[in-house]
Amino acid sequence: MTGDKGNKLARALPGSSLDDRLGTDAKLDSSSQKRIGDQLRAMYDELMQQPVPDRFKELLDQLDKKKDGAQ
Amino acid sequence: MTPEPDLREALLAAVPGLRAFAISLSGQVDRADDLVQDTLLRALSNLHRFEPGTNLNAWLFTILRNLFHSEYRKRRREVEDPDGSFASRLKIQPEQGSHLDFEDFREALSQLPSDQREALLLVGASGFSYEEAASICGCAIGTIKSRVNRARLRLAATLNVDDMDDLGPDSMTRAALQG
Repeated sequence: MTGDKGNKLARALPGSSLDDRLGTDAKLDSSSQKRIGDQLRAMYDELMQQPVPDRFKELLDQLDKKKDGAQ
Repeated sequence: MTPEPDLREALLAAVPGLRAFAISLSGQVDRADDLVQDTLLRALSNLHRFEPGTNLNAWLFTILRNLFHSEYRKRRREVEDPDGSFASRLKIQPEQGSHLDFEDFREALSQLPSDQREALLLVGASGFSYEEAASICGCAIGTIKSRVNRARLRLAATLNVDDMDDLGPDSMTRAALQG
């Protein structure tokens, strides 16, 4: 997994200067953390509320039919 | 194996969460929907591997995440993007059914390293525990905690630097898209 490299030791990768500056032990204060969390969830909720595209319902319907035919 | 009768409903119920994750991960609605579709197909053909009673959502997220990463590696080779600069330019296309209210936040999210982004999305938005997120990403719990922490720090730094209330470039984008 390319995404897993290096982080087991929480070591800043070369070039990630922001990580260097922030350090690995830095913690966000709770109000900033809440603000980030609220924004993230608000953005996510908007995505979650989008209607499920028909293609997924149709896909699952087809598979149901196939299964009925096979049994 | 005979699937449970309510499996269709369970899979359907998982779709909004999978889509939100895939859109936030890939930054592209079309690509996200393809990812979700591939995830459902793969899940259905591997149902025998799913242990009943365990977390169906976590299993589906694991499949989607693995598909995303294998496709990402493939694409990166195809577009000759060894340093990932193409990937870092990926953004959610605002005209595709989304409001513009979170444009700054999305922009900041898209600039995170992908391992930090997915960790934050799983824990901070999708509602998984650190333990579940670690299992989905195939890494240690401490790694997930570290990534989530770094993601939050980086987002806070980016959003402060760019000032979330600054209407400069964003208002132009809004005007262009609305006009």
